[in-house]
Formats: sequence, structure tokens, C-alpha cells
Amino acid sequence: MDIKLRSQPDSAIAHITLAKQENIYAQAGCMVAMSADIEADTTLRRGKGGGIWGGIKRMVAGESLFLSRFTCTSEEGEIFLAPKLIGDVMAYELSGNELVVQAASYLASSENVDLDVGFQGLKSFFSGESIFWLSLSGYGTAIITSFGGIYAIPVDGEYIVDTGHIVAFEKSLDFKVTKAGSSWIGSLLGIGGEGLVCRFEGRGKVYCQTHNNGEFGHLVGSQLPPRRE
Amino acid sequence: MEYEIRYKPAFSTIFVALKPGDKITAEAGAMTSMDANLLMKTKFSGGFFSALLKKFLGKESLFVNTYINNSDETLSIVLSQSIVGDIEALALEDSEICLQPGAYIAHTSGIDMGVAFAGFASWIAGEGLFKLKLKGQGTVFFGAYGGLTKKEISGDYVVDNGHLVAYEPNIQMGIRLAGGIFGSLTSGEGLVNKLKGSGTIYLQSRSVNSLVRFLKPKVPK
Repeated sequence: MDIKLRSQPDSAIAHITLAKQENIYAQAGCMVAMSADIEADTTLRRGKGGGIWGGIKRMVAGESLFLSRFTCTSEEGEIFLAPKLIGDVMAYELSGNELVVQAASYLASSENVDLDVGFQGLKSFFSGESIFWLSLSGYGTAIITSFGGIYAIPVDGEYIVDTGHIVAFEKSLDFKVTKAGSSWIGSLLGIGGEGLVCRFEGRGKVYCQTHNNGEFGHLVGSQLPPRRE
Repeated sequence: MEYEIRYKPAFSTIFVALKPGDKITAEAGAMTSMDANLLMKTKFSGGFFSALLKKFLGKESLFVNTYINNSDETLSIVLSQSIVGDIEALALEDSEICLQPGAYIAHTSGIDMGVAFAGFASWIAGEGLFKLKLKGQGTVFFGAYGGLTKKEISGDYVVDNGHLVAYEPNIQMGIRLAGGIFGSLTSGEGLVNKLKGSGTIYLQSRSVNSLVRFLKPKVPK
């Protein structure tokens, strides 16, 4: 499998070349184009958080239920995958370690990457946004996307990230959702605007996005007429 | 204090390195990530009364956060804006700049933040009854939706509503129709800002109003 990232950073798209019988899993709906002899099917990924129960958990959490699986049936095939929003894409190599990814930032992963849905370590309802998390482990490549640019912070000690700006982080880091300022009342009321943030501790990388899709959505969405259902 | 604006122009983001004793004040919500040893203090922006005025009449947020480095090593903080676009770092040397609602991101120590009456013309144009005024010696960071254009004007100058980001305080803001009444209704330009005076203005290449107007008819009923 060969991955080339194009049109970075504002309109990034992943161009993936697959050899015969290779496959790649992707967020449903992110396929832009592909060779005609690549077969697509949808799957409930089995694993710790896969299967029916995993699927239900994902449904409850508001994420699409299925992953698409693309399999190359000829000698060589190619596929283009892109996120919905403008922003960057990066490839992360897993070699037995674990990466926690914000669900909206997951784009695709190669065959031997295990995907656990509904990672419970971060109770993100605290932040007032319906963010949930995936845990990726195993061996292979994960393709991660961001709203805005991605910057990596090599944490050695303690570091704070606004929950809406976390793209992914290495599981070697300890983390807890905490207050940004010195007063709990201020943080809970959100009067400082920062509310609760994620405090990382230890050694490892955290990947942040320069912009916050939720905030951007509120800025524009609050001026649109109410949706009638 | 040192800073670098990266990912220009579309995803401009401010990467700040604060030396021991340095501080920076930023709009509530602007902090993207930071070293855990930075001390954050929340306060009313420009004093209690000014903050209330801004909140209810100027569409600005009520609070700002000041980040202080009380440690003995250099610490970093990353600041960004909600909208995608360019960011300008303007060095003030005993001078002033007025910012339109939503443009303010941060300022260094040495800068005073306050509000001034912007006039009823500004209010009618949907730009708020009060304007944010920053003055002193230091750096002011403000952002735009899209690209930023710096423009020197002298005399009269017309800017479409929603595209003005910042202007020097000796420039007066007026309001008028883009054409005649009929022309304004049909050309889609509507109300425009008529600026008068000489100094520097900053324009943004896109406006949120236009994005909202584009999306509105597409929201299913």
C-alpha cells in the first residue's frame, strides 16, 4: 500500500495505491474516486468494540454505523479518500502502540489496524459537544484528518489542549478532563470561554487542529433558520 | 515574547512563546493548546461596564483570558479564531486601532482595551453600537474570514458591510446605500460603510453574512 497526500493543507486528499488483495477501511462516505475493479463493501468491524454491540454504541454516539472496506481485486488499484470539511490529512504509522482519535478525525486505516469504538476514557459530554473517541491499535497506517492545519506537540511533562482541538493522541499519555483556569465555577459556567480542557501528562505526541469545527459550525449555524423536523 | 503566525493564510494560527514573566491576553475561546504551567486568569474585557456594553451591544464576548508565565522557563501557547482566514499582528507604538465585532483575538501587555461609541450609523449597518478600541505600546492580533487587505485611505472610501475588519480611530464611519434605493435592492450590495478620513483600514476578502445568506435558502424547511 502506498499513500500520497495531495493538496495539503487546506484541501487535502489521500491518494492510495493498493496491491492485489490489499484492503483499506474508511469512514463511510469519504470515497471520492477509485479504480473500477476495487470492490467496496460495508462492515461491522469485529474486535473489542466491533460487532453488533459496538455498532449500537456507535449509533447511540451519533457516528455512522458502518465502515467501508475497499478491496483491490486486480494487480493494482487506486482510491482517493477525502474528509467532508476543508483541512489537512496525515498518515500515522502504528507499530503495536495505541492511538486515540477523535471520531470525526478518523478517515481510514489499513487492514491490520484494530479499531475500537466508543473509547470511554474521555467523557467529552463535559465539554458540551458530542465528541466521541476511537482507539486504534495494531500494525499499519491510520489516516487522520483535521479542520484546519495539524500540528504535533511532543509532550514531555504536562500539556493542555482544548477538547475541540484534539485530533489524536498517543495512548502513552495520561489524560484527564479538567478546568482551564483557577476557578471551578468559572470553568463549569464556561465564562472564560475555555470551559473544560484536556490535560495530558507523560511522554507522547498529541496532534491538534488549528481550528475547531464545532465552533465554526456554531458561528454559522446560529445565524441559520431553525431546522424543522 | 516571541510569536509566529503559521498556516497562513487559510488556517492562520498564532504560536506564542512566553518568556518568564511574560503574559498575553486573548479572547475567550481563542486558546487552542498550551503548556500546563501557564496560569490562566479570566476577567471582564476592558473593565466590567465596558464588557457589558460590548456583550449586549457590540456582539463581543464578555470575558478575556490572560495567560501568565510565572515559571522560570519559556512556555508556549497556541491561539486561533473560529473562522478560517488570515491573522494580522499589528505593532502599536503609542497608537490606536479600532476592531470590528469578531475580529479581536489577542493583545500583549502594554495595550489597553476599551470600548468607544461607534455611532448609530454603525449600529444600523449591523456592525454594533460600540467598537473595540486598543491602544498603547505592544502587539494586537486580529483575524479575518478569508484574506486580509491593508489599505491606506484619504478622503471618502466605501466598504461593503461585513468586509471591514479594522481601522484607525480618526476614520469616521458613515452609512449609505450602495447605489440609489432601486440599485441597492437589485445589485445585492444593500448598505455599505462610507468611511471618511485618512489612515489605514483592513478588509477581509469574505464575509460571514454572505456565507449565511448563501446557506439559508438551502436549509430544508
